[in-house]
Amino acid sequence: MKNAPHGYYGVILEVDLSTRKIRKMPVDHSDLANFIGGRGLGIKLLWNRLKDKPGLDPLSPDNPLMFMPGPLSGFPVPSSSRTCVVTKSPMTSPVNSKYQYASTLSYANMGGFFGPELRFAGYDGLVVTGKSDAPVYLYIDDDMVEIRDASKFWGLGTDQFDKDFIKELGDPRFRTCYIGPAGENLVRYASIINTAARAAGRGGVGCVMGSKKLKGIAVRGTGQPNVADHKLFLAALDEARAKLNDPSVYDHWRNGGTTAALERNSASGLQAVKNYREGTFTEAKKLGVESSKKYWVRSFSCYCCPLSCKKSGMTKGSPYAGLIHDGPEYETGTMLGANLMISDLPGVMKAIYLGDDYGMDIISLGNVIGFLMEAYDKKLIDKNFLDGIDLQWGSVDATLKMIHKIAARDGIGELASRGVKALAERIGQNSDKFAMHVKGHELAAHNCQANPPRALCYATSHRGACHLNGNDAEQQNMRTLADSAGLCFFAMYGYGTDGKLLGKILSGIIGQERAEDLAKTGERIYNLEQLFNCREGFTRADDVVPDRYFEEPLTIGDKKGAVMSRDKFKIMMDEHYAARGWNPDTTLPTQAKLEQLGLAEDGNRI
Amino acid sequence: MSENKLSDDSKIIISRRSFLKGIVAGSGALMVSNGWGIFSMAYAGDKQYTMIIVDYNKCTGCRTCETACSAYNHKASVNGESINGLGNPYLSNIKVYQFNPDVDVPRVCAMCPDNPCIEACPVDPDPKGRRALYRHETTGAVTNDPDRCIGCGSCAEECRVGVITPNSETNMPERMCTLCDGDPQCVKLCPFNALTQVTVDTSRGMYAMRPEQIADALTKQWYSAE
Repeated sequence: MKNAPHGYYGVILEVDLSTRKIRKMPVDHSDLANFIGGRGLGIKLLWNRLKDKPGLDPLSPDNPLMFMPGPLSGFPVPSSSRTCVVTKSPMTSPVNSKYQYASTLSYANMGGFFGPELRFAGYDGLVVTGKSDAPVYLYIDDDMVEIRDASKFWGLGTDQFDKDFIKELGDPRFRTCYIGPAGENLVRYASIINTAARAAGRGGVGCVMGSKKLKGIAVRGTGQPNVADHKLFLAALDEARAKLNDPSVYDHWRNGGTTAALERNSASGLQAVKNYREGTFTEAKKLGVESSKKYWVRSFSCYCCPLSCKKSGMTKGSPYAGLIHDGPEYETGTMLGANLMISDLPGVMKAIYLGDDYGMDIISLGNVIGFLMEAYDKKLIDKNFLDGIDLQWGSVDATLKMIHKIAARDGIGELASRGVKALAERIGQNSDKFAMHVKGHELAAHNCQANPPRALCYATSHRGACHLNGNDAEQQNMRTLADSAGLCFFAMYGYGTDGKLLGKILSGIIGQERAEDLAKTGERIYNLEQLFNCREGFTRADDVVPDRYFEEPLTIGDKKGAVMSRDKFKIMMDEHYAARGWNPDTTLPTQAKLEQLGLAEDGNRI
Repeated sequence: MSENKLSDDSKIIISRRSFLKGIVAGSGALMVSNGWGIFSMAYAGDKQYTMIIVDYNKCTGCRTCETACSAYNHKASVNGESINGLGNPYLSNIKVYQFNPDVDVPRVCAMCPDNPCIEACPVDPDPKGRRALYRHETTGAVTNDPDRCIGCGSCAEECRVGVITPNSETNMPERMCTLCDGDPQCVKLCPFNALTQVTVDTSRGMYAMRPEQIADALTKQWYSAE
């Protein structure tokens, strides 16, 4: 598009599945300058679109599902493959709200190749609205965009669909993403999968996609945006490649990926074990890097990433032999392993494969099953409640049965498909004390007893419990910026957390002026997210972590005895809101803060 | 991760760095001896072609090679100066194909010594004996002369690997590896040292196979039951 700002096309592709209208939508240049792209531009578009619709039902046609690459996407910047899927969450809810369907915003971040390809096709983002009557997929080949019938694919698992989809498209150079049966069936924590291995897992984005009857998206492109300062960009690119291609940066990722954290966090008492009751899994070694290496075949990378943290492999020598999948990663291996007291690695791999194949967020899935195991163990529920499944700690067989049920929303699976908050409300008997969620979104594989700042990270995250949110305002702002630029967290340490090199690269792409004060850009985005959630009715009463953390000290491991103090947590949160410039009760940004960030007008909406 | 068990020619998979070292140490002869394949007589004199080969055990499918190729071979003009482009992978001569189960296969010109693409070119040879498609004097890269090319597409039809792609408007052949004037950027910038410039040896494992065939072979090797 003519006069596109540097680093962008200035164009969002918008597809309305109800009216089947497809159009190129120009993006306000000031929105690009102020919100960059990715998560930031996504929340800005969501805020604009839902201007008059607070409390919108997230599964209604009006909820936009947005695929947002960043300004780095489509350039050969190391580790810049990330794409944010932004929508209104079908999982979260506040303690009190005047809106029946009040929920937070949601974003899920995925690596791979999809985001860069969307940019090659000529778009800074894709917005899907409306709802189709019959299953469809979206075909994007540069300017040629079509809504196509996907009836024959409905019901397929993500692994098979990944293969069939490419056959249908006729060119393996198409990049695709899609939902599985869980998304089709509106499991609340359904994920969006790409390459049969990578997920926009969290926050229910696959459920929203399923509500639109959108099975998949295929994209192929030939273009690239212009940059502001070509020479500066090439120089910064050389610098980034030199930094990221240093063994001290990539070695541990290439060797073990996130799996290395399985044993490390267990030893430090930081792992989610036995539904978060403990921080150490005595059998962690069985799920660790050395054990996994027996099955791993190769490392594989996302677009232009020298870290290659993902490991593909095949299980051998067990009832679950011959299974080809990636993993276990830290999150998947912990949530369907340690958190369920399962140490049978091929069994864990089978559960991970099933979860991915059905297209469910493995974090929420493992959390839900862990909660049910504990409720069953404590005899708060019986076998009948579980449709006859003997859901004992450590049982692979029972876990697999439960996964099938949840994906199909069959019997107990219907309630379990709504998450731990819904389960605890139904089961009662103080089970909410160990229902490990914040705002209805399940905690991830990191435990808090021995690491209280993590509780702040979970409590304040805008999509409900999120381990990537950041433990303080500064970290949160920088991570928000990375999510908006399209950069992977894992590479941020290589780039340097001071943000200088990232700033240089962005200066080359979008221009010096716009790349100035990136931390402030991150802060602006974070504050707009806060406004969105406040308008829905979320307050400080929702920024809490489960009682377990204050009442049950760890009983094993190096951090035995660790437990959080309610007083200290309160002080930490008070300090955080003060540092943020937010009202400590309503958590609303103060007028001064909003003015400082150029959000005063947005604040008036509340 | 297993050692290179792809083919028995691991000896000749020498990374660029060790290749350069090898020359200094005088062991470059290993490469030369492998260059004398069954097509050696077809080289018209003692000309030897080189090509890019892939160590599939090292490649992770990151596609940095595509961006390196594209940036060098599709330069940008900035204030009248010709500098590297932005690395749009669509324009790359090396292209990574990804498969499920996870296998990544970079596809690049095999520099076939028997020149099926050039043999297929119907354009009458010029005084130098060149058809519209010809071997570059210094690099040996398959090169097209746009002034004489008639865009018939015959070369693409004969390409064994499927590399040669007719331009969507002119139908003239594209995506032949240029070897970057003798310093292949994909080899230089691969973060995993998975690419190497070697003398063409048609007896090398997986030589001139299409990505799908290579993926099939690798899938069997990596993902078949014990």
